[in-house]
Amino acid sequence: MLTRLLRRRWLLLALGVGLLAVLVGGALLASSRGGDALVIYNGRSHYGDEQVFEDFEEATGIEIELRGGTAPELYERLRQEGEDTPADVLVTTDLANLWRAEEAGLLQPVDSGVLEEQVPAELHDPDGAWWALTTRLRVPVVATERVPEGTVSSYEDLGDPQHRGRTCLRTSNSEYNQSLVADMIAKRGAEATEQLLRSWMANDPDILNSDGEMLAAMAAGDCDVGLANHYYLARALEEDPDFPVAPAWPDQDGAGAHANVSGVGVVAGSDRTEDATALIEYLTSAEAQALVVEQGEFAANPEVPPAPHISEWGDVQTDPIAVEEAGPLLADAVALMVRVGWR
Amino acid sequence: MPGWAIVSGAVTLVVVAPLFALPASFFGQGEAFDSIARALLPEALRTSVLLALGVGTGTLLVGGSLAALVSFYDFPGRRWLDWALVLPMAMPGYVLVFVVLGQYDLASPLQSNLLGDGLRIPGIRSPLGAICILTGVLYPYVYVLGRSAFLSQSRQAIEAARSLGRTYGQAVRQVAVPLARPALAAGAALAIMEALADFGTVNLLGVQALTSAIFRVWYGAFDQAAALQLATVLICLALTMVTIERLLRGRARYQQNLARGDALEPRRLQGWRAWLAAVPGTLLLIVVFALPVAQLVTWSWETVSEGTLGPQLLPAARNTVILGLITATVAVATSTVVVYGQRSQPSRPGKALARLSTIGYAVPGTVVAVAVYVPLVWVDRHLVDAADTTFGWSIDLLFTGTILGLVVAYLVRFHALAYFALDARMGGIDPNLDEAARSLGADRTRVLGDVHLPLLWPGILTGALLVLVEVMKELPATALLRPLGGDTLAITVWEATKDSRLDTAALPALLIVLVGLLPVIVLVRLLRSGGWNSVADRI
Repeated sequence: MLTRLLRRRWLLLALGVGLLAVLVGGALLASSRGGDALVIYNGRSHYGDEQVFEDFEEATGIEIELRGGTAPELYERLRQEGEDTPADVLVTTDLANLWRAEEAGLLQPVDSGVLEEQVPAELHDPDGAWWALTTRLRVPVVATERVPEGTVSSYEDLGDPQHRGRTCLRTSNSEYNQSLVADMIAKRGAEATEQLLRSWMANDPDILNSDGEMLAAMAAGDCDVGLANHYYLARALEEDPDFPVAPAWPDQDGAGAHANVSGVGVVAGSDRTEDATALIEYLTSAEAQALVVEQGEFAANPEVPPAPHISEWGDVQTDPIAVEEAGPLLADAVALMVRVGWR
Repeated sequence: MPGWAIVSGAVTLVVVAPLFALPASFFGQGEAFDSIARALLPEALRTSVLLALGVGTGTLLVGGSLAALVSFYDFPGRRWLDWALVLPMAMPGYVLVFVVLGQYDLASPLQSNLLGDGLRIPGIRSPLGAICILTGVLYPYVYVLGRSAFLSQSRQAIEAARSLGRTYGQAVRQVAVPLARPALAAGAALAIMEALADFGTVNLLGVQALTSAIFRVWYGAFDQAAALQLATVLICLALTMVTIERLLRGRARYQQNLARGDALEPRRLQGWRAWLAAVPGTLLLIVVFALPVAQLVTWSWETVSEGTLGPQLLPAARNTVILGLITATVAVATSTVVVYGQRSQPSRPGKALARLSTIGYAVPGTVVAVAVYVPLVWVDRHLVDAADTTFGWSIDLLFTGTILGLVVAYLVRFHALAYFALDARMGGIDPNLDEAARSLGADRTRVLGDVHLPLLWPGILTGALLVLVEVMKELPATALLRPLGGDTLAITVWEATKDSRLDTAALPALLIVLVGLLPVIVLVRLLRSGGWNSVADRI
């Protein structure tokens, strides 16, 4: 049958034309679908935030379309799409990427009294180009069964030779590590930071993919010390209060624990400023932030306290990322991490 | 009239053109390697070469010897091993890694580990670990192509060798296997290119291959020039591998007379030998397929019964299938044109172009995505402007963030798969047939329709299936170019795995394997029914 069908000469042509029709039709269909939705380039696609966006849809009738990706991916895409971007809102998991987008002229200023009220001044751009949703600490963590309390009390202690072969780090691909290192370069200088990183590398750390994996490795006894965002540990502790890993708050007599920000901004190419602003106002409202805090992060809105089981973590001395200085150093940070052999 | 040569040249150019952005990165602003690229290059290059050699050797050994074993010997379990050995094709490397790492991840919310919580494979996070994982999922390429080559061999070749005093085993080794060498080499080439382009496996295992390095400079440093330069190195490496594959084929002429000769009768093994012969295949299947799938099933069951599923599953599955089908059809069409253009009007430039058209396969999806993206955005802009000024229409972006843009990227990447399958098949069709048909007055188009297509059909199906499976597993290009709300299963798995949220990844991972199984099963049925020979016999 098939053979006979194929003998027909017109078949090739028909096949070609049909294909083209299907393709173009499909593409048009796909691009017209969801034309009215507010498009979010969402770097926080796995924080259980979907509920918050659904609540917003329900409350306002504004349709939301979430498009996930890592912050660098979304930034790159925004840059390429320029004016024609379908995106209205950019959500990232660290401030450096938000800053980078602002620098590239990809975000537009938002002026909102509600936002000014809900987000403290230090957690938003003076011009309103970006607004914090949550803050998160990137701190040393220790396996409580093998590391006595007080052994680790600074980022430098991760490079202490006594932990040789017993440290775990997340890959330097992680934007959290890149931001941390950029901030260190900004505050300590390139040389001191290189020395610090070299001491970490001298301990021959296991390089893992995610903070969660690192905590698991520590719990399993593979590592004694590591470096994680606090909310991963918060989630592990919520699951199992006896989870054998604890935060070692760094530099409490000095600078404090490195604090980064997950935030949001309105895309410059968007003509839905009003809806986008309404979304940001909703996301930083006490109601929405209460949902986010359940995942262990600290709310940007000062009215919302941390999750109960980590309530005392809210009193830690923090060292907020100096984004104006650290932002331009991101590339240097990556180069440095590569140079010292941080995979 | 050199029509076919021109058409096939044009198709090749479309498939390859975006990749010209890569070497161009050495000119203009970024003429030298910048410091990041330089620092990353030595280790990355070493690792990638190691991966290529390891996976090439591994798949050739595993896939080739299993294909020969199943083709020439009969033993208990042979009938099901015959098709079951194709199954791991449905398992992407990153899913296997996900299962392996999931065994270990005590922090994961998943409790139903088949092997308990303690299973750890020392050294899995190393190039050797990556080679093992990739060989485990890529050997079917060699197996399938080898098996179909063995199937199309006639008994007479073996019998001739035996009448010259060779034992059966010697005849298999000295006659049958060398006869299948082009097919085996083609299979290994596929596996190697797949390994070079792999991002998911090496990334999850923390192995610093070239793809990881490219990803790092692209998204860590936003240094497009450096990323494009590293990608160029990767393409050169892939090109070297393709050339080596051609050299391995040597001058082997591999057209066999498919129409004549009797099918092979595998020799029945007796006693312990028979049982021993069943061991390697069975063991391999258990390790790389049965156990991982069972694990995915139990994990998925756990997530379903605890209600921790996302709502995006069904649309993701649908998107995955649609994208796979469209791309497979287009890729088969382009490869048929290229292969036939080269066949009907062979020329050196045509040959070079055809070879060039396969290098996209070795380019990591991320780089293909952006290489395709930049020109497509440009085209889109002009289309929008032209529609506006000429007709006063306001149209949407046609390629940017649509299925169309994504399919173009897939095509650049996977055209090679269909091309290899068709080219190998075309090589098995006696050129005398073309001449006979031409001498009877058929024009070139008619020769294609009446002579080649019916003979090529198995190659077309094989090619389409390979493309389908690959598109469904594809990750990085999809991540960048996927259309509005068009998450695929791979994206779902990847995003969850990155964050060690293994429970969200379990069911989508299982679905990727199951969806991937569908074409594999079709392939298997084709193999079992002896369809390839019977199709050929009809002519």
